[in-house]
Amino acid sequence: MTETQKETMETLVTELQQGALTEASLRKGIVDIAGADSPKRQDVLYLQAVTTSPGAAVVGMLLVEDGELREGPPNSEDWPYQTVIEAVRDGWRIISFPNMALLAVDEKEFYGLGAEFILERWR
Amino acid sequence: MRISERKTYDCEPTMTDTQVLEFCKNGYLMLEGVVPDDVNRRATKYCDQHSNMEPSGILMEDWFVENVIVHPEAAGAVRSLLGANFHLPILMSNHRVQCPIQTVGGWHVDGNYHYTHELNFLQVFYYPQDTPIEMGPTQIVPGTHLVRNKARFMGHLASIKGAIPTTAPAGSIFLTVYHIWHRRGPSTASGIRNLLKYFYWRTTPPQRDWVTEPDFDFATAQYTGPGGAYVEQFRDTIKVSEMFLWLCGRHKSFQNLGGQSWPLPADRNDLPYGFPAGLPQPQSVEL
Repeated sequence: MTETQKETMETLVTELQQGALTEASLRKGIVDIAGADSPKRQDVLYLQAVTTSPGAAVVGMLLVEDGELREGPPNSEDWPYQTVIEAVRDGWRIISFPNMALLAVDEKEFYGLGAEFILERWR
Repeated sequence: MRISERKTYDCEPTMTDTQVLEFCKNGYLMLEGVVPDDVNRRATKYCDQHSNMEPSGILMEDWFVENVIVHPEAAGAVRSLLGANFHLPILMSNHRVQCPIQTVGGWHVDGNYHYTHELNFLQVFYYPQDTPIEMGPTQIVPGTHLVRNKARFMGHLASIKGAIPTTAPAGSIFLTVYHIWHRRGPSTASGIRNLLKYFYWRTTPPQRDWVTEPDFDFATAQYTGPGGAYVEQFRDTIKVSEMFLWLCGRHKSFQNLGGQSWPLPADRNDLPYGFPAGLPQPQSVEL
């Protein structure tokens, strides 16, 4: 539950305790808590890791947050997640794993930046 | 003949074995502040008066060719990497932008790339004005000239560990392998940022005719560079060694036999297995 939802709930409880709760305010409160009038947005996190392990070090990142593209901090040590598993622990859900078919591309050549995980969260 | 009418140029090479090898590892070489201030001001003025994207007329200006294109340090580095009588630039591009630009450019490799161990041309950049981080210097990822990519598949790349801004004082020139990953940096200051870009071409087969080091040891030299952070272990090591041997004119003897053979880094007590035949040995080594 978000802080906004908690505040709405507390308002409803207070109104109930004071005998001021009306049908209209109850209906509005339920709609607000359910978020029916504010559709959720998908945030997306691209993380490129040095291996296919979710515990491997991240060498690249791109965050799509609130519909905006965001870089990480200039110093990679300050990036929000140093591994994919750190992002998972923070509530991100992996929606795309490194494509193992890329193993078959070429024995000696390397393409692109690391093993790419794509994660999402809804807010 | 006026210097601006010359098609090719020759001069003394300035880079050593170690520096050439470092170029092979990093994919770029920065020469900071080598062009005199009065030339930088004149070049900036020229760019203001010719603000199009391809002010190639500047290559017909003797003062520019003399002080920038064949500047002893820059031309010496080009001579080291491209050999004698290298071809002079015939096209000038200017990545001229009005700062500030809050957004960052997208990572890319320039079009018509050709991934190879050969180095037959150099992409060179010149900053005629101070270009601190606030002026959005080009960013590069050292070592990525060894990592294949396609510009249209790089649009989702953003922050990359190891990427660096080419922050530099006025008069700086930097040489790059064409297909190194790069992008425009974001800028916060106000003003015009010029970034002149041009090419030199090889006209002679490669050979080790730069400043050789008597104690340079092909067997123990460190061939692993920053590209190693992005690829399968030792793959960049092998690519760097192949590129270096090609530049030395020794590509026919290049080989990699796998496992712990040359050119993998190791503290060995003898020549590495698979060490290419015919490579020079340090003068201090008795065979």
